[in-house]
Amino acid sequence: MKAVAIKTVCWLFTLLLFSLPLQATEEALRFENETQRQLYQELTAELRCPQCQNQNIADSNAVVSVDMRQKTYDMIMQGSSRDDVLDYMINRYGNFVHYQPPVNRYTLLLWLAPLLMLLALFGLQLQRRRQQAVTDEDEHSAEQQAETAPSEQLDAELDKLIEQYRSKK
Amino acid sequence: MIAEYGQLALTFALALAVLLAAVPLYGSFSGNQRALLQAKPLAIGLFVFCLLAKLALVHAFLTSDFTVINVATNSSSILPWYYQITASFGSHEGSMLLWILMLAGWTALVAIFSKGLPLLMQGRILGVLGLINIGFIAFSLFMSNPFARSLPFYPVEGMDLNPLLQDFGMIIHPPLLYMGYVGFAVSFAFAIAALIGGKFDSTWARWARPWTLAAWLFLTLGIMFGSWWAYHELGWGGWWFWDPVENASFLPWLVGTALIHSLAVTEKRGTFKSWTVLLALAAFSLSLVGAFLVRSGVLVSVHSFAADPDRGIFLLVFLLVVIGGSLALYASRMNSVRSQARYQLFSREVMLWGNNVFLLTATLVVFLGTLFPLFHKELGLGTISIGEPFFNQMFYYLTIPFALLLGLGPWVRWKQQPVKPLLGPLSLVAVASLVLALGTLAAMQSVQANLALLGLLLGAWVGVSALYELYQRLSQFGSVTKGAFKLHASHYGMTIAHIGFAVLVVGVAMTKTFSVERDVRMQVNDSITLAGYQFTLLEVYPLDGANYGGEAAEIAVHNSKGQFISQLHAEKRFYTIQRTVMTESAVHARLSRDLYVSLGETLPGNAWALRLYVKPFVRWIWLGGLLMALGALVALLDKRYRRSGPVATSLNQTEAANA
Amino acid sequence: MRKLMFFLPLALFLGLALFLLSGLFSNPMERESVSTDKPLPAFNLPDLMNPAKRWQPEQLRGETFLLNVWGTWCPTCNAELSYMTELREQQGVKIIGLYYVLPVDPLLGESFDLAALQADVSNKLQQRGNPYQFNILDFDRSLALDLGVSGAPETFIIDSLGIVRAHHIGDINPQVWRNKLAPLYQQWRQLDGGSE
Repeated sequence: MKAVAIKTVCWLFTLLLFSLPLQATEEALRFENETQRQLYQELTAELRCPQCQNQNIADSNAVVSVDMRQKTYDMIMQGSSRDDVLDYMINRYGNFVHYQPPVNRYTLLLWLAPLLMLLALFGLQLQRRRQQAVTDEDEHSAEQQAETAPSEQLDAELDKLIEQYRSKK
Repeated sequence: MIAEYGQLALTFALALAVLLAAVPLYGSFSGNQRALLQAKPLAIGLFVFCLLAKLALVHAFLTSDFTVINVATNSSSILPWYYQITASFGSHEGSMLLWILMLAGWTALVAIFSKGLPLLMQGRILGVLGLINIGFIAFSLFMSNPFARSLPFYPVEGMDLNPLLQDFGMIIHPPLLYMGYVGFAVSFAFAIAALIGGKFDSTWARWARPWTLAAWLFLTLGIMFGSWWAYHELGWGGWWFWDPVENASFLPWLVGTALIHSLAVTEKRGTFKSWTVLLALAAFSLSLVGAFLVRSGVLVSVHSFAADPDRGIFLLVFLLVVIGGSLALYASRMNSVRSQARYQLFSREVMLWGNNVFLLTATLVVFLGTLFPLFHKELGLGTISIGEPFFNQMFYYLTIPFALLLGLGPWVRWKQQPVKPLLGPLSLVAVASLVLALGTLAAMQSVQANLALLGLLLGAWVGVSALYELYQRLSQFGSVTKGAFKLHASHYGMTIAHIGFAVLVVGVAMTKTFSVERDVRMQVNDSITLAGYQFTLLEVYPLDGANYGGEAAEIAVHNSKGQFISQLHAEKRFYTIQRTVMTESAVHARLSRDLYVSLGETLPGNAWALRLYVKPFVRWIWLGGLLMALGALVALLDKRYRRSGPVATSLNQTEAANA
Repeated sequence: MRKLMFFLPLALFLGLALFLLSGLFSNPMERESVSTDKPLPAFNLPDLMNPAKRWQPEQLRGETFLLNVWGTWCPTCNAELSYMTELREQQGVKIIGLYYVLPVDPLLGESFDLAALQADVSNKLQQRGNPYQFNILDFDRSLALDLGVSGAPETFIIDSLGIVRAHHIGDINPQVWRNKLAPLYQQWRQLDGGSE
């Protein structure tokens, strides 16, 4: 822990002394077309700085981010695809370096769990309504009273709605 | 000496919190009315002593008392006085004290404004709040004392406030955010009180509703200002990064939003009972989990406080007691509840259930996205990162059905809604949305932008539907003007908040689609054109601030017709004590777009690196947040929430009426 | 069954608490390296003190060694120099330096000055001890990037066939050496003879 702290401090210090120089005359990085520029902006936003607390390489000025940005730029200019660049980085820095987690049988849970919950919660409602239909038949009148009594006292708006509803019926 | 008084005040506050937890709860179990009556004075006393402690800490900062470690590490004598005040909550210790002050404040407010509640309920609610107060005050006193001294050796000058925090955002963001986090403690206490009493009918929901709305209002504002602050302070033009600390605030917000809607069902229809109680417990539990994540160092974040495992253990034990205890209570009480209300599939109940399902699924997405890297690593599967691509993908798919439902929901009646009467107005809304969305894109001369089109469609669907529904509702009173005065404030609140959501969706989609950025190298008098705006670097000159130096650049902006639009002033500051470089970006904001410039480093040959952005509709994101908060405020003004006093009498009245 | 459902939130929370507890005792900044068990990437870099001499991976084969990424600008690297010198002198550990050059900041009017860097390095090594057989000058940090280096100091164990066997992020101190690196170093060192 301490070593990491020292290291972080040492890095902050270097950041301070050596911010990144940008070469080129007009635009810092020249691209041949808009697709390349967009790919560059997309990739540098999705790649994580391995040195920083939690920043992508586009927003970080750590030396390693500078180098990774440069590498991304060079690879794009040499015609590499999005996957080429991601593979290159992941081969060197691991899955840690990409903000999109890899799909494997453990991380599948990331997508499946929300889907299952969505279905389960809707299922719960359906099941509830089915039970309701069953109990409805024997408890019909008693329920109606229990349910309308409090709301009538407490809510004028609901009164109105129920009235409207009834009158239309 | 003042700092010692502060510590003393906090110690008294702890004693009062213990009494507040013990006496009224004892009273509630033994039926001792005198014990129950102690709750209110104890709660107010607790707040007074917390306030004294806070004032003592502020005093130490304002007088630059560097014998206090917290002052020495987070302030300096050359720091402007208003930042000295904010520095008092800029550190872990100081922010904990702010948190405690807010918690005690909510506790006192509940004590003052709960006259209408039965004494037994009051005692239970305040007792539970007292228990929560004990935990946090003890944590502050024993694990992170803001008043600790470094005598006899102390520095002559402080280490200064982190330059990132030397900003207007720091003045408003943390207090608002903490008001929100801690505010859910009130809903939590109401739910626990209901659980203890074994009665979770519509009564507790009606009492808890205004408090939940108030907490949600603060949390919404807090998150929104945080986003705005990051946007203009960090110099990257980003407004949300899905950082664990941001997610920690988003989780209780999502559940809180679900809770507001679910409380409505429980109050008005007496159903969703066990569900609403669970949400009330979850909202505050997630606030606590968030506090743990931010303060224990288990996750890596740009914003987190310095980590300390001992603090983590304390907080984890506290979490186990509060969350574990409440969920155990929930499980033991919640078995005999039977819902009495009946409703059809196409009814407002089911619409609101749908709202809850999507909000809860979104909560799970954020929760897993935040914590899964930890699970993955602790299971020995290696380190992974989860960030923007994942969250954007998931929220893209969640927002579509959610927004469709949101446009439909307000039209649907309780119990049962016949489909036919809605077909007319809704198809009108659909056509209007289509026209609006395509019209906007045509005006922007870009029709093939999918995300923007989708965002505009959904936003227009929600917004037009909300407005048209309001109009229809008002007309039901005879005429719109007549109805305007008769309609309940909460209905206006709902409409405003829903429009806020629509505005937010449009803002996000448009910004994501049409933002452009350039990293450029410029000399004085150089120009560059970006998205039709011409940026010209006029001059760069040295800066001389109170505790910083650096450079400032003046940039003129003209539009494509050559008309002058604005002169932007961007700074790069070098804070001398902390030796940190900070960018102060320049923003020219309009409803339709932001022009955003941040000054980078000096380059060889009298040139400077600049980052330029044109961000269409980015204001709409915060405008949407503001509207949602405004909606909550308007709903809070609803007279029905202040009928609190005569609950007992009104019961009698209606009984009489029924008889 | 219905009753059990109400216990679900509690069970989920307790599970979460277990993870949070174990998370408290691990360092979230730690990431596993993917550079191990791969051969050294190709490079052709100059010697720091004698730039005419170029180093290639083939020349480093034959003996297990430590590749230590460092720079005089990094206080932690300077701090570990003396302990590593001890390792070199007392245990005969072969250490090669990979000098990590920072991007040059024109704000300070600097340009890359090899002579000044060499003087700075000699000076530092004289003060703190010199653990290195020699230093490879990674002037554009390309080898560092290929090795997955995120900063300095970092240390690799490379076996006699030129395959990376360990990647340590952070400094080398007696504890790290004894518990983590020494066993690995000895293990690969023993295979040195046989693998020739």
